[in-house]
Amino acid sequence: MKLPRIFRTTPFRLTLLILALFASAAFAFLAYIYVATAGEATRRTDQEIKREMRSLVDVYDRAGLDAVNQSLIERAASEKPFLYLLLTKDGRRISGSIEESPVDGFTGAPKNATFQVTDIDAQGREMKHPARGLQERLKGGEILFVGADAGEDEAYVGKIVGALRAAGLLVVILGLGVGVLVSRNVSRAMSDLINVVERVRNGESGVRARVRGTRDEFDELAQGVNDMLDRLERSMAGHKHAGDAIAHDLRSPLTRLRARLEAAYIDVEAGKGDAEEALAQALTDTDGVLKTFGAVLSIARLQAAGEAPNPVVFDPAELGADMAELYEPVCEDKDIDFSAEIARDLSIRGNREFLAQAIANLLDNAVKYTPSGGAIMLRVRRRSSGEVEYSVTDTGPGVPDEDRERVIQRFVRLENSRNEPGAGLGLSLVAAVAEAHGGRLELSEGPGKVGEMGPGLRVAFILPRP
Amino acid sequence: MRILIVEDDLEAAEAMARGLGEAGHDCVRGADGEEGLTAARDGAFDVMVVDRMMPRMNGLQLVETLRREGDHTPVLFLSALGEVGDRVDGLQAGGDDYLVKPYAFAELIARIEALARRRETGSVQTLLKVGELEMDLIARTVHRVGKEIDLQPREFQLLEFMMRHAGQSVTRTMLLEKVWHYHFDPQTNVIDVHISRLRSKIDKGFDRPMLQTVRGAGYRLDA
Repeated sequence: MKLPRIFRTTPFRLTLLILALFASAAFAFLAYIYVATAGEATRRTDQEIKREMRSLVDVYDRAGLDAVNQSLIERAASEKPFLYLLLTKDGRRISGSIEESPVDGFTGAPKNATFQVTDIDAQGREMKHPARGLQERLKGGEILFVGADAGEDEAYVGKIVGALRAAGLLVVILGLGVGVLVSRNVSRAMSDLINVVERVRNGESGVRARVRGTRDEFDELAQGVNDMLDRLERSMAGHKHAGDAIAHDLRSPLTRLRARLEAAYIDVEAGKGDAEEALAQALTDTDGVLKTFGAVLSIARLQAAGEAPNPVVFDPAELGADMAELYEPVCEDKDIDFSAEIARDLSIRGNREFLAQAIANLLDNAVKYTPSGGAIMLRVRRRSSGEVEYSVTDTGPGVPDEDRERVIQRFVRLENSRNEPGAGLGLSLVAAVAEAHGGRLELSEGPGKVGEMGPGLRVAFILPRP
Repeated sequence: MRILIVEDDLEAAEAMARGLGEAGHDCVRGADGEEGLTAARDGAFDVMVVDRMMPRMNGLQLVETLRREGDHTPVLFLSALGEVGDRVDGLQAGGDDYLVKPYAFAELIARIEALARRRETGSVQTLLKVGELEMDLIARTVHRVGKEIDLQPREFQLLEFMMRHAGQSVTRTMLLEKVWHYHFDPQTNVIDVHISRLRSKIDKGFDRPMLQTVRGAGYRLDA
């Protein structure tokens, strides 16, 4: 038999468990109350009996047997709730309110006993009450028994037990009810998540769990699941985009390469001169393909590792100066004014090769897009936040505000620059390097429009303080 | 030159051996680490080309073993792994240079010859001489036919490397690695521009240019 769903839920099971624990505790509590109360009632009855016995023994000691006898008769007639029995030395009844002693095997030493008394109540029903009694031998050898009905105390204990029993039942019923309610609530909160997971598993995208704004752990979980899905989908979109872009960026040169080789093959076969030119071009094409491939691989590895390999602490000025020295002649060659402003005595932690590659890519881009007569500036400085910033500013056409986020993404090249050489991976790799170092890229406008120049682009490569 | 090629990709090894053979070198091949180790122990080689990942014994273990045995033959590691960490591992294991697959043959042969040359010139030289060009490493001066040529520090290092490898092709990547000590792939022609600056200083005003561009490979300094 399959239980209804609600009974299979974790909260319900937990409720049951807690209920079981609670019930056990309640039972133990009940048992203790019972034992304590019942014991207490008996003790109190025994005490009263003993006090009564003392006062009778007192009477006997002061005034003798007849006085006791007299006193017994008076007391029995009064409202006192005691039972009395006075016996001779050899156990014959002298007087009292009962016929015979309920005490068995009396040896002479004071002895307590528990027994039953039968009563007729107002409706004529026979009622049995538990009773307690005490039997003692008097100085003259006579035997005195004093008993008392324990009924009232017992009834009191019974009431307590009854109340506790009812309370226990209430606990169980309430517990079950609360269990069902809690399970329902939790189930409702969970079912949304389960539903989302189910739909994602079935390949749906864009599904998100509802965040109810209660700031409880379900909200946290839902938010976590949503963040995870965001990240996964972004990464999947990235991979898909990367796949498309690799296909695009590799297909064209590979197609060209193939055509060139084929043409050369036909020429050589027909004996029409040598294939040198075609082969040289084919080699250049192959190098281009390999460069693209290498960049894709580097990005993928950096993103997979999530951190820079072999990090060392070094002075960013050193790297800045090396890069300035490396690129200054290229700029001069293209009639671009190059300047560098490098702050000293800073330190960063990272992979020197990847960082060099990143700065080189930024400078490569700047050189590529800045026309002759323009200017490029490399700057290394400490931001007020303590982060270290490498920035490259150029006076090229710049990147429109709305495209800045996009150019960092893998392979994106702005449409109007499609015919420029370059794999379109430059900035993506820089962004991947920044991310792997816990840093980021910031793109902003350059120095602005001056005649034909500008507005330019400023790319800041920001590294956290080590 | 006797060259040992330890490479489990037989086709690649074959192509490499043929190319090196055409360049006038004598090649011995080993198809995995253990074969390579046996071959290396047997014969005296000028240079070893070792693939990093091979069955039975990988390239790192092979070179570590040889170095422990006191064999200091220059080793060029070949690897499909191109990360900086991989390169560092290779060099720490006792390799002398590291080339990432796929590579241009010109790059391979340039590096092999550079390794062999380094071994030949073990003694400390203070004066380099290539044809009309003279470099004094202590005075940090360069003369061509008695005329002093004024060089920037980096130009000096660049020329020193070219002079030490005179007659050999050196690639752009090699120059960036050996002169600037960076291992990356610049997209623009940064190295070319440095070379052309150097060329304008050492060849300007002379009939015969010494610094040649080698198509598909890089540059060569001819005496």
